[in-house]
Parts: sequence; C-alpha cells; structure tokens
Amino acid sequence: MVTLKDMVPAAQNNINTQFIILDKGKTTLAGDYKKCLALVADETAAVHFELWGDECDVFDGGDIISLVDGIFSYNRKNLVLRAGKKGKVEKVGEFCMAFVETPNMSEIRWIPDPNNPKKYVQDAVISPYSLIFPPVP
Amino acid sequence: MASKILKIAPLEAQNQIELSLRQALELLEPQLRPPFPLTIPTPEEYSQLNWAILYGVLCEPHFAKIQIKYLHAVVTDGYCFFVNLLTTIVDELYSKLVKSARIQLISLVSEMIYVSAVGIDGLLASLLRQIVGGDFSDGNLWLCFELVSLFLCKWNWLVEEEPQVLRNGLHTYLRVLSDHCRFSGDSKLEALRRIEIEFCIKVLREQFHLCLRIGRDLIRLLQDLVHVPEFRAVWKDLVLNPGEFKTQEFEDISQLYRQRTSSRYFLLRITPEMESQLRFLLTHVKLGSQKRHQAWFLRKFLSGSERETLIIDIVRFICCGHHPSNDIIQSDVIPRWAVIGWLLKSCRKSYVEANVKLALFYDWLFFDERIDNIMNVEPAMLLMVNSIPKYVAMTHTLLEFLLLLVDNFDSERKDIIVKGVASSFGMLARKGVVGSIHVLTSCDALSPPHKEWLGRCFESWSFYRIAASPSS
Repeated sequence: MVTLKDMVPAAQNNINTQFIILDKGKTTLAGDYKKCLALVADETAAVHFELWGDECDVFDGGDIISLVDGIFSYNRKNLVLRAGKKGKVEKVGEFCMAFVETPNMSEIRWIPDPNNPKKYVQDAVISPYSLIFPPVP
Repeated sequence: MASKILKIAPLEAQNQIELSLRQALELLEPQLRPPFPLTIPTPEEYSQLNWAILYGVLCEPHFAKIQIKYLHAVVTDGYCFFVNLLTTIVDELYSKLVKSARIQLISLVSEMIYVSAVGIDGLLASLLRQIVGGDFSDGNLWLCFELVSLFLCKWNWLVEEEPQVLRNGLHTYLRVLSDHCRFSGDSKLEALRRIEIEFCIKVLREQFHLCLRIGRDLIRLLQDLVHVPEFRAVWKDLVLNPGEFKTQEFEDISQLYRQRTSSRYFLLRITPEMESQLRFLLTHVKLGSQKRHQAWFLRKFLSGSERETLIIDIVRFICCGHHPSNDIIQSDVIPRWAVIGWLLKSCRKSYVEANVKLALFYDWLFFDERIDNIMNVEPAMLLMVNSIPKYVAMTHTLLEFLLLLVDNFDSERKDIIVKGVASSFGMLARKGVVGSIHVLTSCDALSPPHKEWLGRCFESWSFYRIAASPSS
C-alpha cells in the first residue's frame, strides 16, 4: 500500500492504494470508451484519477475506492492515476475518510532523476491545488 | 458474483458478512435437510450452523420452515448468537437487502419473539432505527407497517416482557406520525396512519406509567400531533385531567418536563450509517474543510423536499447524543454549533425550521443543573455567540425564537420555563462556555427588546452578576 504523496510516475502497474473521490468531471467519449476525470485524495495528498467505462457512472463523490495494480503515468499530456488494463478498482466504503487537497500529485512537474534516468523526481510545483477542480470555498 | 440477498452495485467490493454466510451455507447445506444429524455441535460448528441457517432462511423462503425447525432443535444459547447475527445484519446491511430478504427477516423476527430469544430487544431497536423520518419511499412505509403490526400482534408479550421496546416503539411511531399526518390526502398513507395511531393511543392510554420514563421528548412529539383528534384528546387529558391516565405517580405535566430524555431515543431516530457519518464529521473533519463532506451528507440523506424533517432528529442527536471530548473541542475539528448552523440553513420549510430550533433549545426550557447536562445546551449558545457579528441574523432569529418559546410553550407554567432558560444561561456562563452573557446583551445588532429581556432574565436569577467579566 502506498499513500498518494509517495507515488512516483512510472510505466508500471505498481500502485496499490485507497482514496476518496472528491469530485467528478464530465464523461467524454474516447473512441468506444467512456472516460471521465476525477479529483481523488487521501490524508496525504490529492491526485487526478482517470475513470474508464462503467467506473464513470458507478462511482461518485464521497465513495472510498481501493485500487490494486494501478498506474500513475502520463496519458497524453496529463499525469493521472488510473486502473489501466491490469488494475482493479472497487468501492469499499463511503464518507469516512479525512483528506487534503494539497499537494496535488498531478500538478507537479517531474523530471528524470539525474542519478537514475529511469526514475522520476519532483522538480517543481505547477499548482498547489488542482487547476481542474479548485477547492470548494 | 451476484448476491442472493443484497443489492450490489457494479464495482462494489464483496461484502464480508455475506461472504461468510454464503460459505457457511455451501458447507453445511446437506445437513440442513432431514434426517438431521444428532451429534452435538462444537462451538465452532454451532456458529457455522447459525450462519448457514440464517443465510438459508434469508435466500430460500421455501426451505425456511425446515431450517427454522432445525435451529429450534439445536439451539443451546437461547438464540443469542442467532439474534446477534441478525442484529448485525440489520445494522450493517438492511438498506442493501433485497425485498424478499427483508420479508424473510421480518418473519424471523416474529419467530424470535415467539421463542423470547435473548437479545430480541436489541434486534427490535435496530429495526426501529431503520425507520427513517421524512422517508416516504415504499420500502420505509412497508417497514413502518410491518413493525407496528408486529407490535400490536405481540402486545401482551411487549407489555409483560419488553417495556423498553414498547417505549422505543411509541417514540418512533409518534415521530413518523408527524410526517404521515402532514399529508392527509394521501390514500397510500391512510391505512398505515390508522394502525400507527391505534398503536400509539393504546400505549398512551393503557400503559402510561411506562411512557413516563421517556421523559420530556414525549411532550415535544405529542405537540406536533395536536391537530389529530385522538392526540388532541390525549393532550387535553395530559394538561387538564392527569387522572385519566390512572397512573398514581403522574399528577402534572411538569413531571414530564423535569424528566430528561435518555440519549438512546436520539440514537433511535437516526440509522447507524447516519450516525457514523455524523460522528466522523464531528471527530475528523476540520473547520474550513467541511464543505465536501456536508454536500455528500445532504445528497445521501436529505435530497428531496419531504426529507427535511429528518433534520429535527439529527439536531436532537447532535445536541444530546454526541458529546465530543475536550481534546476534540479544543482542536480544529468542526464544532457541533457549526454543523447545526449549516443544517438550520438547509431548511426550506418554515415549520421544519421552527421544529429544528425547538429541537436545539428544547433542553434549555427545563434545564436543571442537578440532572441536565451542559453539553446538551452548549451548541445553541455557541451558535448564537459565534454568529456575532458576521452572521448576526442567525443570533437574532434564535434569540427571537427562544423568547417566543418562553412566552408561549406553556403559559400556565411559564415560571418553570423562565427558570430553565435562566439556569442554562447561568451554567453556560459559570462553566466558561462563553465569557459572559454580556457578549449577547452588548451586541449592537440585537434589538433593544431582546437585550432588555435577556437582562431581566438574568437579574431575576442573579446569574448575570455571577458571570465573568465581559469579553470583547
């Protein structure tokens, strides 16, 4: 299990975590598939999560989700967390999770680690909060 | 895997309780038809047997009779384990149970009453908690009907063995009647209303001595039903002919005022799920970061204009059923007064708003420091004081309501109420919940009549003089 703040982008299905959905954007069509961006968070950080297919309709704000074998990587230009083809998401509860909306792991610029180009490290903060889902005043 | 007893949404995790029940049935199914094994089960086997029988009854109605017979044959603990399991299922899964499973559940409850099972009172309380105020869905109305019918059917047993269940039932049905009587044109509610009224009147007229223990909230619930002829008659007798109730110790309605209502009744009116969410909000969510949790709560429990009456029950629970520790009070967690302010602002209907304010101030009216808890009156005070100056309209509306209450709640016994309110203010000042009442009496935005009334209230009880020096 990893907390959101400890995630590092990688082209691997290596993210096992739990979070609560804060907000959901509009569902769009990507070819044959439905997709939708969501703001999710745990007690350590927030991140943008890309919902696919049925996930778009079935999940909603306040749902606590368990993610197994998820992937945190660049999808076109967006850095998002998602289940991907090998991962699995499941709703395990509702409401009872405290969260923070900053830092947002998707709003961070990452660069290859000079010592190990296969790994990423944080370079700069693009925005402390999500630019797509600003905090509710 | 599709569930036989639960409505499971796609992508929802397997429910652990259901998994255990199903596995037990799969394991023991061959045993659950005659000829039954005659060996005495080990404790482990006994538990498994209970799980299997319960699951079998819930999902296979045609085999239920045989399986119940087997339970009667093997039981060794007065059905304690079985009933506890049923209670857990009600508390955690009732809202997800499919209709056929709910029907089976009620027939099981009836069976457990028949054998006077250990823990049946807890099971019935858990079921009553699933009756939700402001909920006019078929499912909720069905449950109302099933339970009140059960209570009337098992009347003698209730009176002789389970007076607390009778009290719990009265409290619940007086409460939902206030919803059901509001829509007098609705024929769907007609039959239900009649049987609910029959039950409540029977309890009040035949077992009044049992009702006394409910305490002052009984009055609050009855007041909302005064427009119903049967209850108007009860009300008249309560006020003018206490002797009609043939209860020696009951001589005057003020005895009910003086009896604090136990927090068990406030828990009765909210479901376990509402309770967990409210307690979570008041324990883990920081003031300033509550907007998203509040929106989810509203969407889940209060969407639909008829749902609003539930807010009355929630406020009563927050004041009297949830007392945060000093650590929480001193932390940055959202305080009770802020949650109540939000709920009050969410009311759209004026009669609901009035009832919510009554729920908020109710324990003020009869406050007696020997028996009442300051934690029940603290949220109202802090809401009034902390709304100055930014939301002073809130302070104004609350004080105005309090004034109205003192004058009109019971004009024959106004002295009791003035004393109660003054005691509340006094205790709140003495215990340092607020620096002094001066913060209210010196607020420019409050009207002179309000300030004058407050001043007179304290002078007559000297609390104003005892209070600490004015805060800025």
